Amino acid sequence: MARVPPVEWVPHVEAYVDVARPAAQHSASVDALAALVNKDKLTLFDLVSKMDMYLTTTDHIVRSRGILLLGEILSRISFKCLDVNTITTLSDFFISRLSDWQAIRGALVGCLALLHRKQGVGCIVIADVKRLVESFLQNVPVQSLAAADRKLCFEILSCILDRYPEAVKQMDGEQLYGICEAIDEEKDPECLMLSFHVVEVVMKLFPDPSGLAAQFAGDVFEILSKYFPVYFTHGVGNGLDATREDLSRALMHAFCSTQYFEPFVIPLLLDKLASSLPLAKIDSLKYLDNCIRFYGADRMVRHASAVWYKLKEVIFNLSSDQLLISEALNCLKTAIMYTDSSDKDLFINLILLDEDIVNKIRSVSSVEKSILSSLEDLAQLHALGSVISILAESSTYFCTRVLQEHFAHLVDIVGTKADYESRQLNNCNGSSSAPVNYGALYLSVQLLSSCREVALPMLRQEYVSCAVKGLLTLATFPEQCSPLPANAYEDILLMFTSIIISKFENVDLWRLSLKALTSIGSSIAEFHDSEREVVYYRTVVDKIVSLVESYDTSMPLSLRLEASYEVGTAGLNYMLRVAKSLEVAVVTNISESEANGRMECAEHVAHLFECYSSRVLPWLLTSGGVNELALSFALRLLDETKDLTVLDRMSSQGLLDSLMTGMKLLVGVCTEEQQSLIVQKAYSIISSMFSLPLKLMTDRLLAVDELVPSHSVPETALISMFSSIIVGLRPQTPVPDMMVTINLLSVFLLNGKMPAAYALASIFNKYLHNPEFSHENQLDKILDDILERCFLTVLANSCSKISHSSAGTSDDVNFSDVFSGNKLSKINILSSLAWIGKGLLMRGDEKVKDISMFLLKILCSDEILASIPSHQEEPYGGHSSDTSLTICVASAFHVMMSDSEMCLNKKFHARIKPLYKQRFFSILMPIFLSKIKETTAVTTKLALYRAFGHIISNAPVPAVITEAHQILLVMVDSLAKLSFDIEDKDLVYSLLLVFSGMLMDEKGKECILDNIQITISVLTELVSYPHMMVVRETALQCLVAFSTLPHSKIYPMRRKVVQAAIKALDDKKRAVRQVAVRCRQTWISSCLRWDLWIICQVPDV
Amino acid sequence: MTVGMINANPVVHERPERAAHPHAADALDPLDVFDTVRDIKDPEHPYSLEQLSVLSQESVSVDEKLGRIQITFTPTVQHCSLATVIGLCLRLKLMQNYPPHFKVDIKVAPGSLANEESGVYTDKFLRLISKK
Repeated sequence: MARVPPVEWVPHVEAYVDVARPAAQHSASVDALAALVNKDKLTLFDLVSKMDMYLTTTDHIVRSRGILLLGEILSRISFKCLDVNTITTLSDFFISRLSDWQAIRGALVGCLALLHRKQGVGCIVIADVKRLVESFLQNVPVQSLAAADRKLCFEILSCILDRYPEAVKQMDGEQLYGICEAIDEEKDPECLMLSFHVVEVVMKLFPDPSGLAAQFAGDVFEILSKYFPVYFTHGVGNGLDATREDLSRALMHAFCSTQYFEPFVIPLLLDKLASSLPLAKIDSLKYLDNCIRFYGADRMVRHASAVWYKLKEVIFNLSSDQLLISEALNCLKTAIMYTDSSDKDLFINLILLDEDIVNKIRSVSSVEKSILSSLEDLAQLHALGSVISILAESSTYFCTRVLQEHFAHLVDIVGTKADYESRQLNNCNGSSSAPVNYGALYLSVQLLSSCREVALPMLRQEYVSCAVKGLLTLATFPEQCSPLPANAYEDILLMFTSIIISKFENVDLWRLSLKALTSIGSSIAEFHDSEREVVYYRTVVDKIVSLVESYDTSMPLSLRLEASYEVGTAGLNYMLRVAKSLEVAVVTNISESEANGRMECAEHVAHLFECYSSRVLPWLLTSGGVNELALSFALRLLDETKDLTVLDRMSSQGLLDSLMTGMKLLVGVCTEEQQSLIVQKAYSIISSMFSLPLKLMTDRLLAVDELVPSHSVPETALISMFSSIIVGLRPQTPVPDMMVTINLLSVFLLNGKMPAAYALASIFNKYLHNPEFSHENQLDKILDDILERCFLTVLANSCSKISHSSAGTSDDVNFSDVFSGNKLSKINILSSLAWIGKGLLMRGDEKVKDISMFLLKILCSDEILASIPSHQEEPYGGHSSDTSLTICVASAFHVMMSDSEMCLNKKFHARIKPLYKQRFFSILMPIFLSKIKETTAVTTKLALYRAFGHIISNAPVPAVITEAHQILLVMVDSLAKLSFDIEDKDLVYSLLLVFSGMLMDEKGKECILDNIQITISVLTELVSYPHMMVVRETALQCLVAFSTLPHSKIYPMRRKVVQAAIKALDDKKRAVRQVAVRCRQTWISSCLRWDLWIICQVPDV
Repeated sequence: MTVGMINANPVVHERPERAAHPHAADALDPLDVFDTVRDIKDPEHPYSLEQLSVLSQESVSVDEKLGRIQITFTPTVQHCSLATVIGLCLRLKLMQNYPPHFKVDIKVAPGSLANEESGVYTDKFLRLISKK
């Protein structure tokens, strides 16, 4: 690293330390120094050693500037990694400087910078934070500092509390007192914001009933209470960030920080409610509301009556303004809701039996005061109405109580009056002499409406589903005896359809309607009702299905698809319509995506295809309606891919993958004739568009120099589409110009294009040795040829040091030139080999041995390489690339053994020989075992374990168990070795599952018993496997199963197992802890029995 | 002299049904602890401590960071002499189920034991079950 000589940076230090220079120059020099440190051009060590004099001089001014400079620099390099030593030294320095009051600013800045550092870049250790707190509280007289310094102090405190709470967990009363002292009498708004926060966090840190918060709540609150209600004399626009609202909110949070404030807060708030200041009143109500929520029913019960009386005063006070009243009503609502839990009747009795309320109701409804004489009375009535309706609305029980208490009485008054009045009306034509009692009427109406509010949520759902059911029943009458006229029938359909289209937010209604529509549709099909079918098709199917085609994003795509599918299930015709419109949607998305510039297009198409292939197609298949559908869709997709620009866009927008998957599925469901149509068409597109010399490729594989190494994007996309067609073909479908196709694909394969590999694997799986398609074993030869080329390409540079006799042709040199350094394509070729191998393996071809032996050779090449001194530096850095190659080879075995969704499965008509996995396993097992035995190099052994692990875990468990005596030790050792790397976690889990299968089997058990020591030690290690929870859980379950084995064998292992189980009792995951308890119990109890038995056998004991 | 039952006729509460574990987080919580002790049988009756309301979910508090479990139980009658046995049962169960570094506090709910106020019983009791 090029260091900057001191001459260049020392002037910056001098400039900063010199107080006489302007402030701009100061900040410029700090920035310059920080930049140097950040770029590693200046080490902190050099800086500090040069600054030595400034940091330690007895001149206060210079020293304080020096320390400040160091602190400022530290705060500007918060993203730079610092080692532990540096951090510790800096913490020591700044913590010790806290006692230096003349230079306090720098120490504070430095401490804050240290505390702010993030975990990954080296941060202060907890022990130092503890020391910092102690030193801070002992040495820093916060309230005697300037405002800016005080702010720093509070920032330090709040940072410690927020980020290092464990440092202050053991705080004693004296320290808390120190914090109180620091906050006491603070006046600056910004500092206050911070200090309120500090109080809030401190109090939350000690929730214990015997903790500090409980002990000191009174003292702390004494300090806080001075600030309530918050007065704010600063004007707006003086550059302060804090507003009165912010401050008030911060104080409120501090009030609500702990329940132990409750005995002090509530009386204060209630007291301030009586204040003459409106601001204080509003604030008190807001605080009260929050405190009631926070403190909970248990604590609030004792204040219930006081709260009610105070609120009553505000609500019924004639001089209160509207805002205040609504705030008070809010508060009342909260109080009712939150005090409800402990004593049901407490609050309602308080209010309903309150003399004032009783009197008010009586006076309002009394006959004498039937006309409200003044505004005052009106206001009183409104207040009363609000209180009663809040009470009634809060729960069904309250509603009933209130109604029982007053409703009958109120209605009586209104009723007698109204009777009287209506009589009057009838008799005298409207001139009523005794008007209705307005008060009683108002209250009754209020009561009724709140009663409805309570009842609505219960009733609405019932009501809606009933209505939908009624309409459904009406609409599903057979037409001959239908009670509905035609237009009413259409109205019903229209209404349901409009719900589907526009009311999707209401999930229940939406689903009900969709269900109803589907039932109506299937009833039409049931009665063969042609007229209604037309109507249904026009009003429902057309509209809903067209949702799929639209670009309207207001309705989620998943809902649109669901609606279309559900409606489609009503009948074959409808579903065909759905399939058609999905087709249209996909095609328009492909062709128009550029015009719209929509990037989410790929996901959209993927969803469409998903719905098409996983729901619509299977439905159509079972009801026999696929016919030409898939064919036409596939041909239409091919038409789209004729265009080069479309192809280009497809791959750039990520559309290609979903199109390929879709194409495969479409081709897969087609009949042979249809498939051959599709494949012919695709082939003709390729031969018309391709710039490769197709004619040359008919009889032999292209020589390497004829290969075009860089194919353009559209060509690759086209080949990918073509490959996916080939993947889906049936074994009887002829491939046009088989040899040319294979040649073409192999060119792309050697360029590392995976789709070509899938296609080739499918071809070899389906057509090898089929006399119809391969003449005179032509396919066999070309397969050999391709394999040979793949082998050479892989070997070309990774193992160029190994002499390989098989590679004797003159092409070799070119090979290594063309492909040198292209590691990615080499890895792809390896996995292509795996896929071809899989194809061969599934049909039971012998050639798979060649591939697996080659892969094994690569696996073991590490060791050979290590034994030969390397004389050639590889372009991508030697060893690591070989390891990644071996990992790739190991996963090649996984590809060969596991089942795949992508190709070579039943859906795509692969030839699958029964028990092929078992056969492969028994062929490879002895080879692997001997290789593992021979190998000494650790990395090679690990690679072999990995590959063998894939084979074991994918082989059928019974097959593995029959060989248990041979492979158990290898398996156990692999479990132990593979458990270090997080990348291998899935493999470890599947191996462990195989092992647990073995443990369940009698024969496997015997074998395990013979090796019990090593097995149990590995399992006890896996109990603390950090990378995967299920591994720990399964290991423990295995250990539980062990406890049923003969005691004489397991007894010596008990201590180890129990210790592991005890360790797992503290696991992060609940599931693991539960199994750990079981494991520990079973082992302790079974071994205890054994202990007792031994004691009984020995008479002297 | 035959020793009769201390509470011959206890009130038995129904065991509330609930889903397997309603908590999403994997940290140790009071419900976990309650699950381990709820099924301990009362020394006198064939009912669990939960059914007799000796324990409830609210009577358990856990601080995983500090490694503390605190259980406050309420004997069915004020003169229950089996409180110590219940306390020991709780302690044993917790020892079996939680890692050794956890500090377990088992307390009697204030006011639920008659001779608690006299101090004699409480001291003896606390010495028995609160010290490790």
